[in-house]
Amino acid sequence: MENRLLHTPEGVRDIYGDEMLKKRFLMEKLESLVSSFGFREIETPTFEYFDVFNREIGTTPSKEVYKFFDSENNTLALRPDLTPGVARAAVKYFMEEGLPIRLYYLGHSFSNRSGLQGKLKEVTELGVEYMGEASVYADAEIVDLAVELLKMAGLKEFQICIGTAEYYKGLCAAAGLKRDAERMLSHHIRNKNLFGTAELIKEMGLDSRIGDALSSLPMLFGEVDILDKALGLIEGIDRPVAAIERLKKLYEILKIYGIEDYVTFDLGLLSRHQYYSGMVLRAYTFGTGEAIIRGGRYDHLLESFGKAGPAVGFTVVIDQLMNILTRQSIPIDMQLNRVLLCFEEEYFAKALTEASKLRSSGAQVEMMKIDRGMDPYAIRKHAIEVNAEKLLRLTGDGLETQLLTQ
Amino acid sequence: MGKNQEDMEYLTFALTKGRLAEKTLEALSKAGLDCREVLDGSSRKLIFTQEENKYRFFLAKGPDVPTYVEQGAADIGVSGRDIIMEENRSIYEVLDLGIGKCRMCVAGFPEAGELLKHHEMIRVATKYPRIARDYFHDKKHQTVDIIKLNGSIELAPIVGLSDVIVDIVETGSTLRENGLVVLEEICFLSARMVVNPVSMRMKAARIRKVIRLLQGVLGK
Repeated sequence: MENRLLHTPEGVRDIYGDEMLKKRFLMEKLESLVSSFGFREIETPTFEYFDVFNREIGTTPSKEVYKFFDSENNTLALRPDLTPGVARAAVKYFMEEGLPIRLYYLGHSFSNRSGLQGKLKEVTELGVEYMGEASVYADAEIVDLAVELLKMAGLKEFQICIGTAEYYKGLCAAAGLKRDAERMLSHHIRNKNLFGTAELIKEMGLDSRIGDALSSLPMLFGEVDILDKALGLIEGIDRPVAAIERLKKLYEILKIYGIEDYVTFDLGLLSRHQYYSGMVLRAYTFGTGEAIIRGGRYDHLLESFGKAGPAVGFTVVIDQLMNILTRQSIPIDMQLNRVLLCFEEEYFAKALTEASKLRSSGAQVEMMKIDRGMDPYAIRKHAIEVNAEKLLRLTGDGLETQLLTQ
Repeated sequence: MGKNQEDMEYLTFALTKGRLAEKTLEALSKAGLDCREVLDGSSRKLIFTQEENKYRFFLAKGPDVPTYVEQGAADIGVSGRDIIMEENRSIYEVLDLGIGKCRMCVAGFPEAGELLKHHEMIRVATKYPRIARDYFHDKKHQTVDIIKLNGSIELAPIVGLSDVIVDIVETGSTLRENGLVVLEEICFLSARMVVNPVSMRMKAARIRKVIRLLQGVLGK
């Protein structure tokens, strides 16, 4: 037998049984949370024209995007993330009135990254996009939603880390840095490479004040007091000052939400993606080496689809969240109300009546024909395997109920 | 499982096996993180715990260190810059330990220098295909055919497997003995301390302390 028929390609997998139940349950819980904030679901295609995910817009290097051709030789791409598709759709359908819209999506994304790194190539993502609202209140709502979402998932210890793309961009503009230099420097700062940053700044021969502000960036993270520290470094340079003032305002609003204890700041939190234009947001917790929530403000993304408009949002990878819950030994509680109903052939009609009665009262009923003399232990084992809480038997002796605790 | 609690409680270091580990441990000990037990050759333990300060250490093969750190199995790693560049993982490179200094170079027979002046296609043998490709493509804009080898790279031009090599040069004596010379320098290398991005946040105070202590010892 050819193994290819049984195995999945590297980086993709089957999800079934208990794991699938838990995943479904978690997704439903999170969906109901984002719906309660007024976000409405949107479904965009799994594949789109490659241009939707090009370098300026997308978050994934072109070589990691699965590409193929349609019958007219257009290049198509399996979506590496869902935001560009949602932005495209939003520009097309919603942006007429200029009123804010809240959208959420739940879908699969694909990235063709090199194998053997312990990372999946197909994952389920849940994301929210709040478009058409530029104020700091939109930023705050997104931060709050991230906090509520992680709490809803059952996490207790996590940190929301907030930065701003404007601080760095503003400093670079004040220093008159070219785009190449800006990128190179941002690479060092992103990697918290203190000496690399300092060296590069020395090489560039920047104005000493701006140079100092830039070289302190890798370590400019921590509690809210770093914002004042940053302000001290950049007095009189309008753009970065405005960026910090906005973060301070944001923090005041987060205090009203009562979630300031979850929040830390990191001005060196730069994204590789050019599209972030204001707040940048990450959530961190134990049990994973990566951020579990990524997002921020990207006011120029909609523009690349032909209509300018502010937007802020984030995405969480459900599969990663599931892994973390397992690693942190946090159970996903499920109420299934599931019944295994066994019957001997001659009592089929009676069993059917019983089943429909139970089903209409909300139970999940699995029927199973048994023969007289079948091993009761095997039946019980099967019932537990299918997560039944109750085992019913309909035989000559009447209806017999057995409660199963797992 | 209790794994999570351990994760939170301990600060875990992944060190590169061999000479680099010795030098790193020396620096760490000087900085006050007592960890001499790790080097005790008689032990077969894979992981060493220092209960007093809740540090854990383990030794790994060089190229695996960035992997352990990226995945969060270790909070902090110490590894050569060559490996960090080659592996290209999402980890923070926070400190230059200034040990194990050397250079990444293009080397070959002196005549091969001519081949590097034009954009013609050449064959490059190396243990570091990513570094070699980035250098030739992005910096020199030269098309190259990269041949990945796992050791004794100097052999390649001698037996005609490649035109030049990209490799680490410390003193250059191996090259000289075989009639090869350094043709171009790609970058300087030394041991770096790398940190997992999540740990950097969740254990910020402890990691900052380690960085500060080491900076003190390194005189920076």
